[in-house]
Amino acid sequence: MSLELARMVGADLLWSALAALGFAVLFDVPRRLLPACLLLGALGHGSRTLLMKLGLGGVEAATLCAAVLVGFAAVGCARHARVPAIVFALPAAIPMVPGAFAFKTMLGVLRLVDAAAAPSPSLAVDTAVAAAKTALILAALAVGVGSPGLVFRRSAS
Amino acid sequence: MTPGGPARPEPHPSGKGGPPAAASHKLDWAELTDVIDLTLRTGEQLLTHGASAPAVERSVQCIGTALGCDALDILVSPNVIMATTTEGREFRTKARRVGALHVDLRRIAALDALTGDVIAGRCDHFELRCRLDAIDANAHGYPRMVVALCIGLACASFCRLFGGDWVAAGIVLVASSVGLLVRQWLAARHMALALNVLATSFVVSVLSALGSRLLPTQAPEHALGAAVLLLIPGVPLIHAFEELGRGYSLMAVARGVQGLVVSFAIALGLLLAMKVVGVSPL
Repeated sequence: MSLELARMVGADLLWSALAALGFAVLFDVPRRLLPACLLLGALGHGSRTLLMKLGLGGVEAATLCAAVLVGFAAVGCARHARVPAIVFALPAAIPMVPGAFAFKTMLGVLRLVDAAAAPSPSLAVDTAVAAAKTALILAALAVGVGSPGLVFRRSAS
Repeated sequence: MTPGGPARPEPHPSGKGGPPAAASHKLDWAELTDVIDLTLRTGEQLLTHGASAPAVERSVQCIGTALGCDALDILVSPNVIMATTTEGREFRTKARRVGALHVDLRRIAALDALTGDVIAGRCDHFELRCRLDAIDANAHGYPRMVVALCIGLACASFCRLFGGDWVAAGIVLVASSVGLLVRQWLAARHMALALNVLATSFVVSVLSALGSRLLPTQAPEHALGAAVLLLIPGVPLIHAFEELGRGYSLMAVARGVQGLVVSFAIALGLLLAMKVVGVSPL
């Protein structure tokens, strides 16, 4: 059981690191800072997955905890590398952005107005739940990544 | 994220600030013009390349007061930033257009270093202008093919995270890489953002749907869902919530709506592609 969990979290770490790396390259992060973005991406998404697998909370609460972790780690890296924390925080946050939920919401809305099928109540409920989850996860992400700004003075950018 | 709003003590609060050396020298009208021009250019570049509104306001105020004006008030709005520099009874107000969001963290880092140098007094008007020009002109990023491949890898990783198999991840790798090239090609031709996203999402979805038909994959729905993630408006959406928390409601609403429109365009492109290829909806 725990071996299975470890294997799963390991795969999660690997794939979320690659996802963060891809977006760091898209956002034009300088090459010397790419390893840190990769590690922070894995830290964020990996810790979120671990928290959820351990049953310590839903996806929203887990996102908040993971984002706080990423926010402080980004500030630490930023002090070391003398660049703003946003350079690390943005690419690391991208794997946790609820793209799939945002997407489900929009597809649901489009399908609700589809003339061919009668609008179904269950689809409406699913769409509303997906919309709420999208908003809550995004809020948790923004609050978490910005949380060092509550503690340190010049860090939240 | 202070719940009470934006009121937090700043390093150089507008009203009284600046290093003592600069404060002793009174700026005349022409110098105020120069200061406002430089600060607005810095703010515009920060906003264009992915800084949030509070960060832009802080940097612009720091630069303005460090260059010697008494106070600098700034309005950050979605398309325009506006500032007023004040020195005694003289003041200058100017607006500057801000282009579409193009996240470039290399430039953000360079602008932050420049701001630090100005605050520390290591950089005067002339040098600031030269370095702003240099940052503006320096478009050297990663080669286009490298970016395309990395984004393809990122989306393939999303596919694996969703539980897709290796074949699905391979399809996503190709589809998303092509998608980024399409997106940049359209953007270079100044296509409107929503249309660009719609077209790119359509191309990516057609590619991944066709791939899922031709190749044996157990997870065609994961391939479709992950491939379009290269278009997710992550930065506007994260900034929207940050700005909402800090009291920049106008920016927050503008970014949120932009994120909504882009997400909608992605979904529409996907639906159209599914109709064309004839795959059953997700």
